Amino acid sequence: MRIGVPRCGPSDIIAEALVQKLGTSESELIIPPPTSYRTLDLGVKYSPVEACLPFKLTLGNLIESCELGADTLIHARGTGVCRLGYYVKEQQQIIRDLGYDARFLTLDVSQHRIGSIMHLVKEVTNGAPWPKIVSAIRFSVAKLFACDGIEQVVHRTRAVELQKGMTNQIYREALKAISEARTTREVKKVAKQYTTKLNQMPRDRDADPVKVGIVGEVFVVLDPFANMDIEMELGKLGVEVERTLNLSRWAKYRLFLNYLGADEWKSVHRLAMPYLKRNVGGEGWESVGEKIAYGRRGFDGLIHLAPFTCMPEIVAQNIMPSTREDIPVLTVLYDEQMAKPGMITRLEAFVDLLKFRRKRTRK
Amino acid sequence: MVKVGVPRALLYYQYFPAWKAFFQALGAEVMVSSPTNKAIMVAGNSQAVAETCLPVKLFFGHVISLIDKCDYMFIPAMRSLGNKAYYCSKFIGLPDMTRALVRKCPPILDPEIDLNKGRRSLDRTAYDLGHHFSEDRNKIKEAVRQAEEVHLAYRREMSDQGTAPPQVLDGARPEEGKWDSGAVAPPVLSIAVIGHQYVLYDEYMSHRLISRLRAMGVRVFTPEMVSQDALDTATLKLGGAPHWSFEADIVGAGEHYLHTEVDGIISVAVFGCGPDSMMIDMVRHRARELRTPFLHLSLDEHTSEGGLVTRLEAFLDMVRRRRKVCA
Repeated sequence: MRIGVPRCGPSDIIAEALVQKLGTSESELIIPPPTSYRTLDLGVKYSPVEACLPFKLTLGNLIESCELGADTLIHARGTGVCRLGYYVKEQQQIIRDLGYDARFLTLDVSQHRIGSIMHLVKEVTNGAPWPKIVSAIRFSVAKLFACDGIEQVVHRTRAVELQKGMTNQIYREALKAISEARTTREVKKVAKQYTTKLNQMPRDRDADPVKVGIVGEVFVVLDPFANMDIEMELGKLGVEVERTLNLSRWAKYRLFLNYLGADEWKSVHRLAMPYLKRNVGGEGWESVGEKIAYGRRGFDGLIHLAPFTCMPEIVAQNIMPSTREDIPVLTVLYDEQMAKPGMITRLEAFVDLLKFRRKRTRK
Repeated sequence: MVKVGVPRALLYYQYFPAWKAFFQALGAEVMVSSPTNKAIMVAGNSQAVAETCLPVKLFFGHVISLIDKCDYMFIPAMRSLGNKAYYCSKFIGLPDMTRALVRKCPPILDPEIDLNKGRRSLDRTAYDLGHHFSEDRNKIKEAVRQAEEVHLAYRREMSDQGTAPPQVLDGARPEEGKWDSGAVAPPVLSIAVIGHQYVLYDEYMSHRLISRLRAMGVRVFTPEMVSQDALDTATLKLGGAPHWSFEADIVGAGEHYLHTEVDGIISVAVFGCGPDSMMIDMVRHRARELRTPFLHLSLDEHTSEGGLVTRLEAFLDMVRRRRKVCA
C-alpha cells in the first residue's frame, strides 16, 4: 500500500514523523513534493473552474502523490456547510478520470476524535501493533507542538529583529532540526534550544511594532504557499502578528479536550453573538468573534484571509464592519490568479494606515 | 393589522405559499416586495461586499425596498432539511448579514430551521415564531398545520401538473399570464434546465431564460416538475448521500433528466456559488459519459442579455444539428 496525503502548512512534519516511527515494510507513505506552482497548475487544470483554492491545491497534491505511485489517498472531510464535505466526492472522480486507480480514506475533521485517527493509522499500516501506533502519534504530536511553539516566537521576533532575515534563518534551521529529531525528548530539547536562540537574538529595544491579528479560513491561514507567506511579508514590514488558529491547538481540542467537554471557541463565539448568532460553517463565526477579541485587546488591525468565493468567510466579511470594536480589517482573498506583488502593495498600504492611525490616536 | 415583510428572493420561491398561510392564519398581513428590478439590484449591490453572490445581493435589495412597508421582516436562518445535509452558509447567516448591512431594518424574525434536530424542534421554532402574533397555542398549531398542507399542495401542483412556481405564486395562468406568452407552435426540442429556483424564476436575474427558450420552440423541463422522491433517488444514485439540502434540485434533477428523452441540459448558476461550483461538475461529468449536450450558464450582475441569447441560440443549433445527424 502506498499512501498519499495532501499538504497543509506543517502537516508534512506530522506525516514524516509517523513514517519515521511506523515505517512498516508493506505500506509506504508518500509525501508529495512541497506545494509548488506545478501543484497549483495541476489542481487548476483538473478542478471545476469555480472551486476554491484549497480544493485546487489539495487536488494538485493528490495528483502528485499518484504520479509517485500512491494507491491510497487520505483526505479530510467534514460534515457541515462548507464545500469541504464535497471535496472527496469530486476529487475521487477527477483522479479516476485521470486514470489513477486510488482508494480514498477520509478523516472527518468535524467529528472524528483521536480514536478514529488511530484506526486510520492502523488501517494504512496494515495493522501495526497498538503500542507502536500510540507512540508514533505521540511523537508526531510532540513535533507539531514544537513547530507551532517556535512559530509563535517567530511571529514576535520577526518584527523587532535588528538584522533583517535572521529570524527566518533560525526558523528554517529549527524546522529542519525538529523534522530530523528522532525521539520525543530530542524534539523538546531542540525546541527549547531554538526558542532561546530566538529570544536572545539582537533586537530593537525601542521598537513598538504595529500589532495585527490574523483570522480566516483555516487552510489559507495555515498554508504558507496558499497565503503567499503573508506572515513573513508582514514581519518584513515590521509588524507583529498573532493568530489563534494552528494545527496543534486544533489537535489538542478536537482530538482530546472537546471530548471532555471543553470548547476552545466558547468565549470567541460569545463575543460574536450580538452580530452573528450561529455557526455558519468553516471559520466564519470564529472570524467575527476574533475581530472583536483583537479589537478589545487593543490590536492595531486585523488581516482576514479567505479563498475566493469561500461562503462562510463571505458571511463574516459582510458582518465584520458592523461590530462596535472598530479596528481596521484587510480582507485578502486568494485564488490562482493572485500575484504576490499585488498582495504586498496592499499590505504596505494597510500597515501605513495602521501607523498613521496610531499616531493620530496617541496624540 | 401587523405587517410581515417577505423579500421576493431566495427561499421565497420554494416556501412562500406556506409562509403566507402561516402568517395569515395568525392574523398578520404579508407584504411581498415587487419583482426584482434595477433599483433593487443597485440597492442590494451597494450594501453587500462585492464577493457576495448575486441572489444574496438581490435579497438585500428586496429587504431595503420593504423597509417602510412592514413591522417585521421575516428572514429564516435555514440550516438543514434533515439527513445531515445542509444549506449554504449564506442562508444560515442571512438574518445576521441583513442586520449588519441594512440600516433601519424593521425587527427581523429569524427562526432557525434545522430538521436534523427533529420534528419537535421545528414545532418549538414555529411556536416561538407564532408567539409574536398570538398567545393562543392552538391557533399557532392550526397555523402550522395549514402551512404544511399548503406547502405539500404547492409541491404537488408543480410535480404533477408541471406548473411553474411563478404561475402559482403570482397567479399567472399560462393562457393569460406573461409566463408562457412567448410560446410558439408545437415545441420541437426538449431541454432540461437545472438550477436553483431563485435563479431560474427571478426573471431579472435569469433574463427571462425559460420564457425565451419556450419562444425558441423548446419544451422546457425544470427540477420541480419531478416529484421529490424521484429527485432524491436520482441524487443518491449519482452523488451518494447528499451534502447539501438543495442537492436534489441540481444533481438529482440532472441525473433524472439525463435518463429521460431530453435533447440537452442547460445548467444555470450564479457566479461564485460555492455549492454549485461542485455539484454542476458532477452533472457535467455524467452528461459527458452519456453523451448528452450540456451547456453551463454562469450569471452575475454584469451578464448581458445579448451574450446570453447568443449562447442559447448556438447551443440549440448544435442540439438540432446533432439530432438530424443522429436520426
